[in-house]
Amino acid sequence: MEEREDCIALQCRQYSASCREFSVRCQPVQLRSLSAATCSVWLAAYWLFVLTQNSMVLSAAIFITLIGLIVYLHFVKIDQESLLVIASLGIQMTSSYASGKENTTFIEMSRVKDVVINEAIYMQKVIYYLCILLRDPLDPQSVSEVVPLFQSSKPRLDCLVEVYRSCQEILEQRKTVSQTL
Amino acid sequence: MDAADVKPMSLSGNLLYLVWAYVPESWLFSLGLTYWPQKYWAVALPVYLLVTIGIAYVLLFGINMMSTAPLNSTHTITDNYAKNQQQKKYQEEAIPALRDIPISEVNRTFFLGDGSN
Repeated sequence: MEEREDCIALQCRQYSASCREFSVRCQPVQLRSLSAATCSVWLAAYWLFVLTQNSMVLSAAIFITLIGLIVYLHFVKIDQESLLVIASLGIQMTSSYASGKENTTFIEMSRVKDVVINEAIYMQKVIYYLCILLRDPLDPQSVSEVVPLFQSSKPRLDCLVEVYRSCQEILEQRKTVSQTL
Repeated sequence: MDAADVKPMSLSGNLLYLVWAYVPESWLFSLGLTYWPQKYWAVALPVYLLVTIGIAYVLLFGINMMSTAPLNSTHTITDNYAKNQQQKKYQEEAIPALRDIPISEVNRTFFLGDGSN
């Protein structure tokens, strides 16, 4: 739904009246930056080889590039983050990495107090981020934990407001359901 | 910033430092003043001081960054004073009392445009 020069696209899907999914997709790994990184590492290794005349430097550079790329794709580069909200069941967060790995976290609805947009200081900036407030089992009115969402794509406020409005519509339904029971 | 502002203690301290740094040792010995620190320190101490000031800038920056609450902490939402605040009764036609509004309410007012309250 919106594009930024360094990221991201938001997709909202409605599966039923009480179930919605929001996916934020980041920019995939660019060939340009990949080639730039590889070339710089190999040039540095070649310069070291010229200095030291040790050919182990070259093989070490190739090894490092391969291992570094695999580690980056599997542990660092997140392709897509999605949020699935089911009114009667809970909230599920999924992060999928560039290598295909998926990390899933599920929070049941009885633990969820609210989904809000919070502002906080992050690295010399103030950012807006969406977060889930978890209820304290001993004191229903207080917040025991804050779970930030969309941590690697960090969408901006306009994207967050859309997700927030949609989420609040779903969360309203659990209130009416619990009142009719 | 006139000469009358300079305090006598700091002026004499400055003078003593200059005398110790510049006057050759032999002259000081001839006067009978033998127990001075090594002249190495006349240069070393200012250098230490300047490096400390430079590091202090970086250190302060780092301490600030470390003390910032992380994004997943409840300190970004509330604190002890907000949790223990008293709820004053709502009076008609009076300005509502000052209080810390919970974040859910704030969000609803800002982003959902709820006109309530």
